[in-house]
Amino acid sequence: MGEQSGAQNAWDMLSDEQSQKHTTTGSGDLNDILGGGIHCKEVTEIGGVPGVGKTQLGIQLAINVQIPVEYGGLGGKAVYIDTEGSFMVERVYQIAEGCIRDILEHFPQSHEKSSSGQKQLQPEHFLADIYYFRICSYTEQIAVINYLEKFLGEHKDVRIVVIDSVTFHFRQDFEDLALRTRVLSGLSLKLMKIAKTYNLAVVLLNQVTTKFTEGSFQLTLALGDSWSHSCTNRVILYWNGNERYACLDKSPSLPVASAPYAVTGKGIRDAVSSNHKRARVT
Amino acid sequence: MAAAGGGGGGGGRATTSGCGLKRRYSPHDKEEETMNQDQSSKEDWCGRLWNGMDLLKDVTENKHVLPTGLEGIDTLLGGGLRQGQLTEVTGPSSSGKTQVCLHSASHVAVKHMGVVMYLDTSNSFSPSRIATIIDGTNDLSDQRGFDLPHKERLKTMMRSIVCKSVFDIFGMFEVLHQLEVSLLNDKVKSGGRKICLLIVDSISSLLAPIIGGKYPQGRSMMISVAMILKKLAYKHNLSVLVTNHMVSAGNGAVKPALGESWKAVPHVRLVISRVHGSNICTATVLKHTLLASGRTAKFVVPS
Repeated sequence: MGEQSGAQNAWDMLSDEQSQKHTTTGSGDLNDILGGGIHCKEVTEIGGVPGVGKTQLGIQLAINVQIPVEYGGLGGKAVYIDTEGSFMVERVYQIAEGCIRDILEHFPQSHEKSSSGQKQLQPEHFLADIYYFRICSYTEQIAVINYLEKFLGEHKDVRIVVIDSVTFHFRQDFEDLALRTRVLSGLSLKLMKIAKTYNLAVVLLNQVTTKFTEGSFQLTLALGDSWSHSCTNRVILYWNGNERYACLDKSPSLPVASAPYAVTGKGIRDAVSSNHKRARVT
Repeated sequence: MAAAGGGGGGGGRATTSGCGLKRRYSPHDKEEETMNQDQSSKEDWCGRLWNGMDLLKDVTENKHVLPTGLEGIDTLLGGGLRQGQLTEVTGPSSSGKTQVCLHSASHVAVKHMGVVMYLDTSNSFSPSRIATIIDGTNDLSDQRGFDLPHKERLKTMMRSIVCKSVFDIFGMFEVLHQLEVSLLNDKVKSGGRKICLLIVDSISSLLAPIIGGKYPQGRSMMISVAMILKKLAYKHNLSVLVTNHMVSAGNGAVKPALGESWKAVPHVRLVISRVHGSNICTATVLKHTLLASGRTAKFVVPS
């Protein structure tokens, strides 16, 4: 069989995959069910009812991707595409401060040793490394995703693209549902390509509704069956009593599992009832 | 669309409708003399004429079955994925379609049946999952009886699975065209094995952006890619496995995507579903060329 350009055999891909770093979510339990964190080269969809913390998780990931390599992170920048206007800069600043405090707590000695350490770990630098796009209609959303490829070619240190939320503008204005399906599946293919080509993680935040079928409740995504195939991994955030839980619903390599998490002043962290002894940054 | 035209007849004469039938029936056509001289090219042209006994011999000797490694599915399919046929696995999201593909690829690799080509449209090809599946099968011994260390065996097996990401339909045409060319030139890899399984996960995500709507190009591209896949399967004795997703059919029911025209394309169609929270899946035969349809079986995706 001839050599196909861009084809790789599974053994080479395995060694690539094992050397990949994951973006931590801030919660050890959540990282565990995700296999270490959010994977690069994959599109992860995070769905949840309003108020459960999707935007908080999106912001946390945009901050955590910037954790320098010497502290176990990816040291990359983030692109945040905001369709609903839920990106609150003050909260981002707070989360960045919380992240830095945890890094310093976890790595007290190496911080003094690293030459540039003092300068880098400032919340302002974390904010400066988030590229923010605010879009107000579905045409702008299509345009920005088309533009992303060029943008990422110029900014090769971006390691995560967060879209919050990907389906917002498609739920209200669209009359022609078949056209909507075509446009969304085209968008999802472009995002897959971006994730693979530029070796970054794409995180899509989505609304979720509950559906009662056969006596048990099932969480389904906002745009139904046609959109649900457009991601590599899917995480559903839900309430269980007073606690927030995350369930890994779709993954090619990991089993379905749930884990609790909490939204604190510092950002996403382990739930109080967790087995992890203290809040871990990496 | 050169790829679509090339897939239909031979090169160069694609403009004639009927592919040379006109020439066969005009006895004073001077081209017929050249055609008579070159008997083998005429046969290549209109395909070999088989009789029933030849066909039976070919099927029993050459058309093997590639087991997927998942017991329930293999029973339903009468052994596994048949060479020369296009098998479709469809199902709702997270029902196990990618797992069926990964298991089939791993099983072929473990049994050293040949090279697997995996075309991935959703970055779901997971090498670590393949390694886990191969480790899980107890049959890691080399068939020649040599006792290789574990890592070496895993390496040889995994090297026979080749994965390529495809993100649009034109990229797909190109990949298939390259594959066709290399198979025709019979370039054999250093491992000495030919491709025996082609997996496309999933063909429906490549076609979803273009079908529907008032322009028919999408549907013609879908049929075009279907014909190319079936031709590859038939001519080079491959087994082709594709996955499809479900769309809503009104009133909360779901049906396989890609519409009515696609229904006739695969030789075998399976629908699978998974109960939320467990790893027991159910497979139903929607269409099969040899066995009765409508039968179901349960299979377990090992974790």
